[in-house]
Amino acid sequence: MRPLLYCLAAFVAILFLLPIALGTAGTVLPAFGLVDSLASDDGFATVVGDPRFASAVVLSLRTGVIATVLVLAVTLLTLVCVHDTKLWRLLSASLPPVLAVPHAAIAVGLLFLISPSGAIVRLISPELTGWERPPTDWVVPDAGGWALVIGLVVKETPFLLLAAAAQLSALNVEASLRIGRTLGYSPARCWSRLILPRLYSRIRLTLLIILAFNLTVVDMALLLGPSSPPTLSVMLMSLVNDPDSRGAASAGALLLALLVAGCFLFMWGLERYVGKVATARRRSGARGRGFGVFRFAGKGVVVSLLFACIGSLVLLLMWSFTRRWRFPDALPSEWTLQNWTTRGDILLQPAWTTISIAITVTLASILTAITWLELERHRIAPKIDGIWFLPLLIPQVSLLFGWQAVALWSGIDGHWGTVVYTHWLYTLPYVVLILAVAWRELDPAWGHAAHTLGAGYWTVLWKIRLPMLRRPMCQAAAVAIAVSVAQYLPTLLLGAGRHQTLATELVTSFGGVDRRVIAALAVLQSLLPLLAFVLALIYPRWRQNRLQRDRSPKQTRAIA
Amino acid sequence: MFTNRKRFLSVAIGLALFASAHVKAVEPDSPWADVVAEARGQSVYFNAWGGSERINSYLAWAAEHLSDEYGVTLEHVKVGDIAEIVGQLEAAKLVGRNDKGNVDLMWVNGENFAAMKREALTWGSFATHLPNAQFVKDSPSIKADFSVPVDGLESPWGGAQLVFIHDTATVEEPPRSAQALLNFVKEGGRFTYPAPPAFHGTTFVKQLLIELGAGSEAVTDALANDVTNSDFEAVTAPLWAYLDSLHPMLRGNGKTWPTSGEMTRQLLDDGEIDIALSFNPNEATAAVSGGQLPDTVRTYVFDNGTIGNTHFVTIPWNANAKAAAMVTANFFISAEAQARKADPEFWGEPTVLDVSTLEPTDQALFAGIDLGIWALPIGEGSVLPEPHASWANALETAWLERYSQ
Repeated sequence: MRPLLYCLAAFVAILFLLPIALGTAGTVLPAFGLVDSLASDDGFATVVGDPRFASAVVLSLRTGVIATVLVLAVTLLTLVCVHDTKLWRLLSASLPPVLAVPHAAIAVGLLFLISPSGAIVRLISPELTGWERPPTDWVVPDAGGWALVIGLVVKETPFLLLAAAAQLSALNVEASLRIGRTLGYSPARCWSRLILPRLYSRIRLTLLIILAFNLTVVDMALLLGPSSPPTLSVMLMSLVNDPDSRGAASAGALLLALLVAGCFLFMWGLERYVGKVATARRRSGARGRGFGVFRFAGKGVVVSLLFACIGSLVLLLMWSFTRRWRFPDALPSEWTLQNWTTRGDILLQPAWTTISIAITVTLASILTAITWLELERHRIAPKIDGIWFLPLLIPQVSLLFGWQAVALWSGIDGHWGTVVYTHWLYTLPYVVLILAVAWRELDPAWGHAAHTLGAGYWTVLWKIRLPMLRRPMCQAAAVAIAVSVAQYLPTLLLGAGRHQTLATELVTSFGGVDRRVIAALAVLQSLLPLLAFVLALIYPRWRQNRLQRDRSPKQTRAIA
Repeated sequence: MFTNRKRFLSVAIGLALFASAHVKAVEPDSPWADVVAEARGQSVYFNAWGGSERINSYLAWAAEHLSDEYGVTLEHVKVGDIAEIVGQLEAAKLVGRNDKGNVDLMWVNGENFAAMKREALTWGSFATHLPNAQFVKDSPSIKADFSVPVDGLESPWGGAQLVFIHDTATVEEPPRSAQALLNFVKEGGRFTYPAPPAFHGTTFVKQLLIELGAGSEAVTDALANDVTNSDFEAVTAPLWAYLDSLHPMLRGNGKTWPTSGEMTRQLLDDGEIDIALSFNPNEATAAVSGGQLPDTVRTYVFDNGTIGNTHFVTIPWNANAKAAAMVTANFFISAEAQARKADPEFWGEPTVLDVSTLEPTDQALFAGIDLGIWALPIGEGSVLPEPHASWANALETAWLERYSQ
């Protein structure tokens, strides 16, 4: 039995590592011109010689780094200013659903919000601004990439905030704050001197994932970023499908990976420097003063961020029911159901493809995660938490160009199974890491007790462990669905255009803009993960209530 | 027909789910009854630009029809830029994937067709053997695609001409020449165009090139031939001078661009620009009836005419469902499909059929179409021929080098 289990562990590990290894090889080999059929010339020279290259690199770096710094700043500001206020409850409740909304949908909603002819200007024009026509002072997307930065901050801050909030109880924040205040430190100093140094090391990995994402994102950059020149990742997308420039695309993808690695290194250096400065300042013993204005500003940032998110979603919903809505009307002048009822052909097929892929991927990744964690618990599989993060730290472009090349070469591109497999690669890390916490915390005594009563392994797993872990499993499933629904690049590159999901449909047809149908697509894409989150919240409670209801009369009878 | 495909990897991954091919024998000139018989039950993966939901809806209608009448499943593979698909086919050719290709039918013209013909990526001379080919117009732009002879390798699907749409509520008299357009933006008029290589952008740049070089025999001659035979710098110098002065006054100061012609229409409706570009003389009518433009818009062309061309569908050499692809191409040039395509309510694009050769009942289908006052008035503005297919690429590269750094 045991050798078989080792084989099973090896199989899971290989299944996970194979696309990473092959994908890397599939990018590296053509980049150096080592595959005749895929790259005929010097990829590096071609990509560096591209007229857009230099500006694309600068744009990627600037938007990626600024967005990441802002995400960190806003997260810390939120913790310091909002943590002990009423706003915090609202914020914690809205984080998971905001996180679940796909990138592309948020991006489209933001476009509707912040354009010169967007909802904000419509709302205040012409009464406050005097604008009868949209202003020409700015455009969205802008050449500087600021719209993209806003989009990234709106989408990624909740991710970091959630990761940080999850650590607060472990850090015993309330106690630290109390001690700090007793010693006369201002609240802001309590945070910066007592809590942040410990918190930072716990959210560092999440921050790295966000940095890698911000530097290399494709779908949001297509929607919110400038088109000419675009960011490096978008520029590479325009090269990858042409066999003449495949080598160049691969070389560019490697350079992009290097860029990310360089930023990681820079961040590491910065951390050490800041750490030293902070230690010195901690020793100074300065107590600091109150922070009324600062706190007000912090609340303002949080509220505007929430407003951007919710505003975007509301706008998507409004546009999807709009027939006419001209500038500068604050509201649509004509409403209609037609965007939904007469466009079934455009909405239903991608929705079905998205759902079927998402559910399959979710089941597959939960099954894999349970298998691995059970094997790990019985000391057959090693604990490799760091490895699961690999797909999230390697830029998608860098990995998937190669994986697509391998798929093309072996003839598995365009198959539904290949798309599902690639989605699985990106959902599994989240599922494993969510379940791992619960799995390791679950008291083994329950299992031991059941074993003593004569229950076998499967009975214990099925009747004791899994039901007790229902809540984290539902959470993991909801996250898996959200991750799968949001995937753009894996579907696009591995699906050979044959599998249109809501994500690919939304980004591809955005250029064609019947804005109202785009809005309907985005609403649908947001609805699926939101639904999953609601179900994940309700289902375990419902089960528990039913169990209690079923049990209570029997227990009463037994006692009687 | 059988090629030794490198299967071992897919087997190793455990995903080799597909069965081996059953080879069928339809040829470009097979008897039509055989083609129809073989097509039944096949799926056609039609790779076509998916950026317009009206076109997507039209294709959904066509799919229903094909399924009912011929038992053919039409799958619209929505593509951003068909050049990418040409690239994928080149890759397939290089690795020797000569059957069961991903693409059965594709929407092309111009430089993409020229590339496919040059690289032998097309299947064969099927178009002239389609039963409905007898009703197709006898026109130079259908026989030669951007001055590249078609030779039956692609079947015509629709006609197009570069037109401009303006809103009479904001701009009563729009600029009707390149020079007038420059003056218009100088006086604060709002304008932008999609960045090449987006199709509408490239066409607009070609339009300017033709117009700025009009009157010069050398330029006219150069544009009709392969770009490598011309003095590119000299021919295009007036174009760059023009664009250098135009760009700083465009929306976004010429540093950020719309990505498609449809996007300019949306910007027109939003009031961010005054003039939209379209390649469909009837688009405004469709947009007004669909609630996408105000009913004060009108369509016009430059006084000296604008570029027009024909677009086609073709079957790649390695297509998996060639018979069904032929049936689809033939259906596309049926009177019923073309009349629906010409109707602004559905798509609204000029037909490639010579309506006078049709049966009276079919002629009536076309007679019943109302183009509306928003479309380009019939007979207005002459159609200028496209430059040789090779110019598009050269212009796009030069544009990117100058304006995309």
